[in-house]
Amino acid sequence: MLEIKNLHATVGGKEILKGIDLTVNAGEIHAIMGPNGSGKSTLSYLLSGRDGYDVTEGSVTYKGQDLLALSVDARAVAGVFLAFQYPIEIPGVTTMTFLKAALNAVRKARGEEELDAPRFLKKVREKAKPLNIADDMLKRALNVGFSGGEKKRAEILQMALLEPALAILDETDSGLDIDALKVVSDGVNALRSPDRAMIVITHYQRLLEYIVPDVVHVLSEGRIVRTGGKELAGELERTGYAEFAA
Amino acid sequence: MVAVRETVETVDQIAGEKYKYGFSTDIESERAPIGLSEDTVRFISAKKGEPDWMLEWRLDAYRRWLTMEEPTWAKIKIPPIDFQAAYYYAAPKQKAKLDSLDDVDPKLLETYKKLGIPLVEQQMLAGVAVDAVFDSVSVVTTFKKKLSEVGVIFCPFSEAVREHPELVKKYLGSVVPPADNYYAALNSAVFSDGSFVYIPPGVRCPMELSTYFRINEAQTGQFERTMIIADQGSYVSYLEGCTAPQRDENQLHAAVVELIAHDDAEIKYSTVQNWFPGDEDGKGGVYNFVTKRGDCRGDRSKISWTQVETGSAVTWKYPSCILRGDESRGEFYSIAISNHFQQVDSGTKMIHLGRNSSSRIISKGISAGRSSSTYRGLVSVHKKAENVRNFTQCDSLLIGDKSAAHTVPYIEAKNPTAILEHEATTSKISEEQLFYCMQRGVSAEEAVALIVNGFCRDVLQQLPMEFAVEAQKLVSVSLEGSVG
Amino acid sequence: MTDTARKFIETYERERTALPAADLGWLKAHRDAAMKAFAKAGLPHRRLEDWRYTDLARVLDKASLAPMPLHKGDVSVPDAQAAVRVFGGIDRHIVTIVNGQLRGDVSLPDGVSLLPLSDVLAQPWARALVETRVSKTQAADILALNTGLMRGGLGLHIAKGVKLDKPLHLIYLVADDGAVHLRNLIQLEEGAEATIYESFVGTGSYFTDHATSLSLAEDARLTQIRVQDEAPAAIHLATLSATLAARTYLSSFTLSLGSALSRGQTFVRFDGEGAEAHINGATALKGRQHGDQFCITDHAVPHCTSATLFRTVLDDASTGVFQGRVIVRPHAQKTDGRQMTNALLLSRDAAMNAKPELEIYADDVQCAHGSTIGELNSEALFYLRSRGIDEQTARQLLISAFLDEAFKTVPDEPAREGLRELAADWFRLTEKESA
Repeated sequence: MLEIKNLHATVGGKEILKGIDLTVNAGEIHAIMGPNGSGKSTLSYLLSGRDGYDVTEGSVTYKGQDLLALSVDARAVAGVFLAFQYPIEIPGVTTMTFLKAALNAVRKARGEEELDAPRFLKKVREKAKPLNIADDMLKRALNVGFSGGEKKRAEILQMALLEPALAILDETDSGLDIDALKVVSDGVNALRSPDRAMIVITHYQRLLEYIVPDVVHVLSEGRIVRTGGKELAGELERTGYAEFAA
Repeated sequence: MVAVRETVETVDQIAGEKYKYGFSTDIESERAPIGLSEDTVRFISAKKGEPDWMLEWRLDAYRRWLTMEEPTWAKIKIPPIDFQAAYYYAAPKQKAKLDSLDDVDPKLLETYKKLGIPLVEQQMLAGVAVDAVFDSVSVVTTFKKKLSEVGVIFCPFSEAVREHPELVKKYLGSVVPPADNYYAALNSAVFSDGSFVYIPPGVRCPMELSTYFRINEAQTGQFERTMIIADQGSYVSYLEGCTAPQRDENQLHAAVVELIAHDDAEIKYSTVQNWFPGDEDGKGGVYNFVTKRGDCRGDRSKISWTQVETGSAVTWKYPSCILRGDESRGEFYSIAISNHFQQVDSGTKMIHLGRNSSSRIISKGISAGRSSSTYRGLVSVHKKAENVRNFTQCDSLLIGDKSAAHTVPYIEAKNPTAILEHEATTSKISEEQLFYCMQRGVSAEEAVALIVNGFCRDVLQQLPMEFAVEAQKLVSVSLEGSVG
Repeated sequence: MTDTARKFIETYERERTALPAADLGWLKAHRDAAMKAFAKAGLPHRRLEDWRYTDLARVLDKASLAPMPLHKGDVSVPDAQAAVRVFGGIDRHIVTIVNGQLRGDVSLPDGVSLLPLSDVLAQPWARALVETRVSKTQAADILALNTGLMRGGLGLHIAKGVKLDKPLHLIYLVADDGAVHLRNLIQLEEGAEATIYESFVGTGSYFTDHATSLSLAEDARLTQIRVQDEAPAAIHLATLSATLAARTYLSSFTLSLGSALSRGQTFVRFDGEGAEAHINGATALKGRQHGDQFCITDHAVPHCTSATLFRTVLDDASTGVFQGRVIVRPHAQKTDGRQMTNALLLSRDAAMNAKPELEIYADDVQCAHGSTIGELNSEALFYLRSRGIDEQTARQLLISAFLDEAFKTVPDEPAREGLRELAADWFRLTEKESA
């Protein structure tokens, strides 16, 4: 589904990614671990198409097409979803309004008809319930005044609604207590499917106890320095990242 | 907006040809000679079959207008207007009429569709001569019956002059005097028609009143005069929909609106203004010079202005409240969106004269393209006005680095018990917000519309339901072509 | 044209050859042009938008002032004056300017030159300052009068990299009736630093027309603290025109207490990126005093910061005015421009007028302004009194708390304390008088 080849990228003229190779197949969950500043978030922004991240070398192929040639929203409707580490607040725009705009954009791209209000509402409620998201929260402006846990749950709700083919979860565990972590992880696990791939980016092994990956990569200084099975995460937890530091 | 321009040009062309070749006696008698003189004023008055006192009032306004100068203080740049090169009265018959919707540019129709304007209105707005619409009198009559049962008067201004002279005489010019300002004086001299509303004591007007159905009439003249009188303890909500690209030879629109609220009365006045804004190169478009003022004459009276301004090449408009009554309240909620080369200088005045009077101003300005948007507002507290409260919030949003946003508030307090608060911010749509929306698959244009609608939410909420939906769509359409 | 304006023009006609550096060709031409412009515009009046709330022309006509003579006799530094005493405890260089003329000598470190205006005008940096027009607004037009008639004042030049060892205290004392036109030319070269205190005091009936032309070269830093406590009958006009090069820092604070009518004008133009300007002030008025602060921060280049805060306390039948404008020119992206004005009305007859404007032509900016006008919070007063504090003390507490927000912007700690005490004295006196 996703094939990254020799990817080099700079941010503000500084090289952050220095040759990443990564292949993710449908149905797989890949974890990318690494110390702060290793390039984890850069990779997630780059895949989703944020401005300011310049690819200097290499390629990214998604479902057989050049992902880097697509605009941000084109990638999104093509099924690339990023769960943000710090979701932005958008005053005045209610969560509900936003969800409807996003869902209809994605449905339109898939050739599906737009949902009318009752059907949309039904669908949102159905997806919101297991995430403990009440109607009240959906009526509030998007992410405005949401607690850390609420923001992350809202991200997972969006993922559940939009049903992406490739989901990238950027530090989804940050700022969550254990109960919230469990709710969020259950939400993610419910979306595991043979047609869907996920990239879980995290600093700590904790999250991977709940979302068990098929493959674990260690990112350091802009390169994948080690790849292994899920046991690698546990190993890292014991030894730390010190051995990968330059 | 290209589609709109093309159609307008076509219509202008046809109109021009007719004027050029079609000087039959019949047509001449329907139209005032070009230019403005006492004769023009007399001609209009005679056409309307007005009594002498009305003519004298007009002539007095005209003579005052001659001594006045165009205001130059607004942040507006326009070439000088040649007032002698305009027609001040033209009957509908000379207007170019298309035979059916099939003759209208399909792109124009698409724009209307986006605005959510129903088909019948689309036909009206497109200037199609559909009998059913021109005969909308019957619709009005239905309302009229229902309204007259409770004593509400809702009729064209010219009819009020004939049928209710005592009311017109009593209130005309009492809020906006004929010589109030240059454009008000011009309007007073040559106003063609408008609405007249009177709500008797204690009556809650059973329906929302609207000028929507009178747009064809408005085509003939650009100088409407509207007056609403809410007698003691009454309530009325009035909608003014200018959701049409207006075709006008002289491009000048100078309206006057006077509102009077007596004790315990409330008037809610909502406007969605979408006159032809000119094309992307700043050519054409309506000069919208409007004087709107409400007089909270009675104790505990309330006047609320809500406006969504997306059209016109130039907007010069300050819907204001004179808060004369004790515990009276004035509100001003405004969204002004400008794109391409539009210029907006708009705001409000809250003049606090009564004790415990209060006011609230929420203004949201959005400038895109090379447009310029200015909020200009006055909050003034007179010496004897105790315990006045005002809260003002004006926010500007800039889209693109060629647009401009200005805030010019005047705050004047002559009584220590007043509490006046004013806040203003200017910012742009953040890249992060755009990115977030786009990451969820929403296109850049849609994302801007979504964020702008969020930015305007406080004001949109003030609009009656159907209007709010339309206004939201209008916001999106107005900003088309502003990103990417 | 008003009588006073005519008198000013006559004075110029009469004295043009006797004015400082009258032999300089460029200056003569510049002055002629300035007075021609003044003759055309006249003195400012309320029909001008920038003078909407202050009628200088009318007030000057009523005062009917002759040109101020040079003061021959000795004068002593008026230590007793609160506006001077406020800096009393601080180690500083003191310079006294009487009726516009520099008195005595002061020993300043190498690289710092302080001379009478007449002695610096021939220098290129002084010429550049005189010829620079920082603002083309109606408000700035009145500078033409000062350019034509300037005879007093001084030139201060601080060389590259030099840091003035201790604050320079300029005491402007007016000892006679009449109109005085002072011009200060201040140039800080690259990386230079200084703190300047200014005290305005005097006796009698006079008009101070004080203009400062300031230029900060790259990385220069200036802190300026002014106390205006002119005589009760005085008319005070002070205009600061500043150009700020890249990475410069300007902090200007004005405490305004005196004179019958005062108008402080500040024009700041950013000419280099990464510069910062903090223009703040506190005004406390009583009787029939009229105090006006007018401030324009003009962001002509990207990445600059301006912050403005003016707080005004008005007692009796006094009138306060604040007119401010943040201008962000096209391309001045990443501007941070903030402006706040708050006024407290202590009496039934006091009045406040505020007009804080934003004029913005670039999109990637953070600009905001706010304005509040109100009286002392009665709930707060009640709360304090319910804890046993008497009404007068409670009011004083709340007024000082109000003004303190303005004093907090003063970066110079000892001076800040002095200003606080001075303001406390002001309302102690006020409350006593009204009691």
